[in-house]
Amino acid sequence: MSSTDAIEIVSNFILDAPPGEVVVTPSSPRRFSSLTHPYKNSFKTYSQELSPAIEKYNKEQLVTTKLTGSSSLVLVSEFNELGDGRFFDVESQSSFAFDHVSQKASNIQSYVFKSQHSGLIKSLLKPLGTHVLEHYPSYPAYGVYPTSSDSTIALLITGARFSPSNYWNGRWRSVYTFDPSTNELSGEIKVDVHYYEDGNVRLLTTNTLEAVEIPGGSAVEVVKMIAKKEKEYQEKLNDAFGQLSEGAFKSLRRQLPITRQKVDWDKIGSYRLGQQVGLFPTHEHS
Amino acid sequence: MASTDPFDSSLDLLRRLNPKNTTPNLSSLLSLVPDLTEDLLSSVDQPLLLARCAKSSREYLLCDYNRDGDSYRSPWSNEYTPALTDATFPSERLRKMEIAANQAFDVYRELYYEGGVSSVYFWNLDDGFAGVVLLKKSVSSGPKSTGSWDSIHVFEAIDGPRQCHYKLTSTVILNMVSSDEGLGEMDLSGNMTRQVESDLPVEDTPAGSERDHISNIGKLVEEMELKMRNLLQEVYFGKAKDVVADLRSVSALSQTSRDRAVHQEMITSMSKR
Repeated sequence: MSSTDAIEIVSNFILDAPPGEVVVTPSSPRRFSSLTHPYKNSFKTYSQELSPAIEKYNKEQLVTTKLTGSSSLVLVSEFNELGDGRFFDVESQSSFAFDHVSQKASNIQSYVFKSQHSGLIKSLLKPLGTHVLEHYPSYPAYGVYPTSSDSTIALLITGARFSPSNYWNGRWRSVYTFDPSTNELSGEIKVDVHYYEDGNVRLLTTNTLEAVEIPGGSAVEVVKMIAKKEKEYQEKLNDAFGQLSEGAFKSLRRQLPITRQKVDWDKIGSYRLGQQVGLFPTHEHS
Repeated sequence: MASTDPFDSSLDLLRRLNPKNTTPNLSSLLSLVPDLTEDLLSSVDQPLLLARCAKSSREYLLCDYNRDGDSYRSPWSNEYTPALTDATFPSERLRKMEIAANQAFDVYRELYYEGGVSSVYFWNLDDGFAGVVLLKKSVSSGPKSTGSWDSIHVFEAIDGPRQCHYKLTSTVILNMVSSDEGLGEMDLSGNMTRQVESDLPVEDTPAGSERDHISNIGKLVEEMELKMRNLLQEVYFGKAKDVVADLRSVSALSQTSRDRAVHQEMITSMSKR
């Protein structure tokens, strides 16, 4: 196996990682390097070869960080990427360098973005911020950016919770696109939860918001629709847990046999399988 | 916990990656560390595959324990498919007990799963025997909601003077997918593992020991599945749901903390009386 193939395999592992569990600490890259030690890459070149995957992961996950001097979080995504490892934030009117392994920002500079929709983008920040702080209790972050064509606006929301000592982590991501020329809002919500105490359980959800028209297309109305759709979705998701528990889960395996008693293993040989399973010990049918 | 041992790293990695992808991930991992092939194949639980026994027309389950090379042994016919020379079989006496165990767990399966497939495989040890009890059931309520349950109970039965020491390691792989207009896609999948050890009496006669072993193993498996079903219910439909609530709150957080403050004030003023 070539080292290129090995890097590709490990890169795919990174992209599949649950929230908060990818290469962040100095020890974890060595976890990967021990898997490919036959290729004798030094730690430095190794982490360099994996950096495209780590970068892609962080941008997809909307990973957050703090800018010095600020108490709120900024996120990294494909929408606020400047190239050369730099990202920008609209609210603080700044750009920053982002180290994808340590997830730390540095070299903050002032930055003013350019867009034909800059007025709308700026006016979306306040209502969106209010919504996010009212509904995302842990690591709340949001961003509004022009998309690459500058014809539409991207609105991003994320919240995350990390509890590795309790063996679980989770992240919520909302990514919306608003088209001011049609006043249409569309988007996607993704939830990712991982529980790993004596096991490995993963919840992965995707909800697609098909284009919905925002009459008037004002910032306040856009955020009102986002809030409405997120509430509806979360309520449906909550219901879905109960539906699965009462439905598919129950029909996989009963809690007890129809006799409402545990199996009598001493008499297991005399159970007769048939229409009336569990009525034991039955005599041969006459 | 910062172990750099490739085996530990591999297990840790597989516990973090999407459990739905265990089989392809294991395959990729084995291409990276081929020396670990046998160790990983015997340590990592994968969803059970089904095959049909040519001789008996009954279905049986495939796992590493009834595999020899690329062939699998049917618990019904005791034959390997594809045919294999110099294959591994349980001893004649153990095979007799294996047949009885398969019959017993067939009943167990019907009582609890009302469908599905079961298979039991035994193999000899120097000081006793070992085996695996497998159960698998799949359901679908329409094309949009599916679920599957795989039980893999691996045990050792080590002979003692009047008792046998049983050690059971059980894994349940539970996958549920729900897809619906309003909800979108929801995939709740994974596995959990538990262990138990127990010393239980076994009569010192061929018929008696066979009957007691099956009864002991049956009770241990049944008790374990009871515990695990409750655990899975708690984790899948309790814990996972709670974590989502920790990520986003349906009600406004300021309202929640106002309510909490009022509530707290009421409690304080009541306790003053």
